[in-house]
Amino acid sequence: MNAIEIRNLTKNFGDKQALVGLNMTVPVGSIYGLIGENGSGKSTTEKIICGLIHPFGGSIRLFDKDYTDIDVRAKIGILIEAPGCFANYSVWNNLMLQAVNLGIKSAEQEIVRVLKMVRMEGAASNKYKNCSLGMKQRIGIAMALLGDPALLVLDEPINGLDADGMRIMREVLVNITGGGRCSVVISSHILGELEKIATHYGIVRGGKMLKEMTAGELEHGCRTYVALWTKEKDRAKALLSCKYSQVEEEEDNTLRVFDAKESEEIVTYLYENGILVSEIKTDKISLEEYYIDLMKEKESR
Amino acid sequence: MTGTQELKFVSPGFFQRIKGMFGVDFYRLFHTPMYYIFLVVAAVIPAMILSNSGTDGVGQLYTNTWQIIAADAPLYVVGSIGEYANMNMVFIFGGIMVSIFIGHDYKSGYVKQIFTTHAKKQDYIISKSITCAFAMVCMCVTYLLGAVGAGLFSGFSFETETGSLLCAILGKIIMSLGWSSLYTFLNIIFRRYFGVSIASSFFFGTGILIIGVAAIVGNNAALNIFLYGSSVFACLSSTILTVLICFVCSVFWAVIYNVLGTIILSKCDVY
Repeated sequence: MNAIEIRNLTKNFGDKQALVGLNMTVPVGSIYGLIGENGSGKSTTEKIICGLIHPFGGSIRLFDKDYTDIDVRAKIGILIEAPGCFANYSVWNNLMLQAVNLGIKSAEQEIVRVLKMVRMEGAASNKYKNCSLGMKQRIGIAMALLGDPALLVLDEPINGLDADGMRIMREVLVNITGGGRCSVVISSHILGELEKIATHYGIVRGGKMLKEMTAGELEHGCRTYVALWTKEKDRAKALLSCKYSQVEEEEDNTLRVFDAKESEEIVTYLYENGILVSEIKTDKISLEEYYIDLMKEKESR
Repeated sequence: MTGTQELKFVSPGFFQRIKGMFGVDFYRLFHTPMYYIFLVVAAVIPAMILSNSGTDGVGQLYTNTWQIIAADAPLYVVGSIGEYANMNMVFIFGGIMVSIFIGHDYKSGYVKQIFTTHAKKQDYIISKSITCAFAMVCMCVTYLLGAVGAGLFSGFSFETETGSLLCAILGKIIMSLGWSSLYTFLNIIFRRYFGVSIASSFFFGTGILIIGVAAIVGNNAALNIFLYGSSVFACLSSTILTVLICFVCSVFWAVIYNVLGTIILSKCDVY
């Protein structure tokens, strides 16, 4: 069973096609990172999943049920754009309101639980309007966690979070998805953070799903490279370019040699040509670089 | 993935769903200062009316305290402010209150939380209409108390036929449901334009359309099919039939506006 199964989803805003036959599969218990540039259709997809906007065509199934089924919808937690809190209410009152909305019986205990999860116990009596951007995001996540949701849909939840906030967010998401009790769809432009928690990825472009993959597939798909530093960078680049198919110079004066089997081989080769290597390491390209490469590749076609 | 068998989805029935929506709306109502401000405003309106009740150029506007609650007879054609300014004023201010109440759902973005978990749009409309009707009934009560206070202060007579007075008050209170449904409907239509919501609520609340029609057709009982008409019909010469007419009119328009509101909301996107 999949938490979300979307087939051929289409949506227009006036003349603009926001989604053009988008397919998406989110397995139960996964943290699904939805990646794409601005206007690619990420938020539209998330809003359709939440029933906030109506699709033109296609099918959406949540846990093998139609996405409009009220029993499934009652188990969705959201943070779309902003937490949706009342500015003049305290943090506690905002959460209480949502607890009432969800029909949670032991509301006070549940609020204490979610506030602890996002480390906001001390801010319960604060007025929402007086909270910082980072605090507001954490309140939004606490709100989404109320009632033990089976599916969390989070749109840019990391925005405005400091390093500690990001760490808390990571911990929360990893904890709640443990044992397959909850599935998470999370869109973010901060790919470095997403890479630390996502188990699955979906790359959206122009309203279409460009690629879906697991974190393991990304790991295998990401090319390895040897990064090296030398004082004779230009000569080293020229020499390496003769032997290896792709040698790139980075902004920090690093040379990246792709498709090299062993770093020793490069060191030896340069040494034989009179160039000393001051530092060398083997690494893989990040999700961000993978994403940028993929976009460049699609643009060039 | 493991543990999928742990996921259980329980389908909530209508009463469970509506209970949740009522919970949200009443929680918001009682935690919103605006509600209490409007209760005070409703109580102050009679005093404001009386402070301007010297003469209208023809004669004294009020001779009896209960005239601040309802007119002596169902006069759809308004001749003076004294015939107009009574408990019906609550429905004008109530419209502004409903606009602010519903407008904040959209302004805060909380409506996204509601529509994600409550797939049935009718739940939202029904709950809003009834909650706002309750708020208007409370405003009618504070208006009544304000009117009695203002009457005592001004030394006006309290003599009237009790049965007719009770029928008039009950009739106007019953009309709250119809009015709140109209305002909920207007706020659904203009949900993205807060100012237009308030202006339209005020416009319809004044009953100016019916007053305009009445100016052409005269004091015609057929105008009772409209919200303003029935509200005017609940006067100091009311009978139990008046209450019944108010009930039928209020429920009829509540159903119409709730159905239309549900249809519109079901077809529109939430931003």
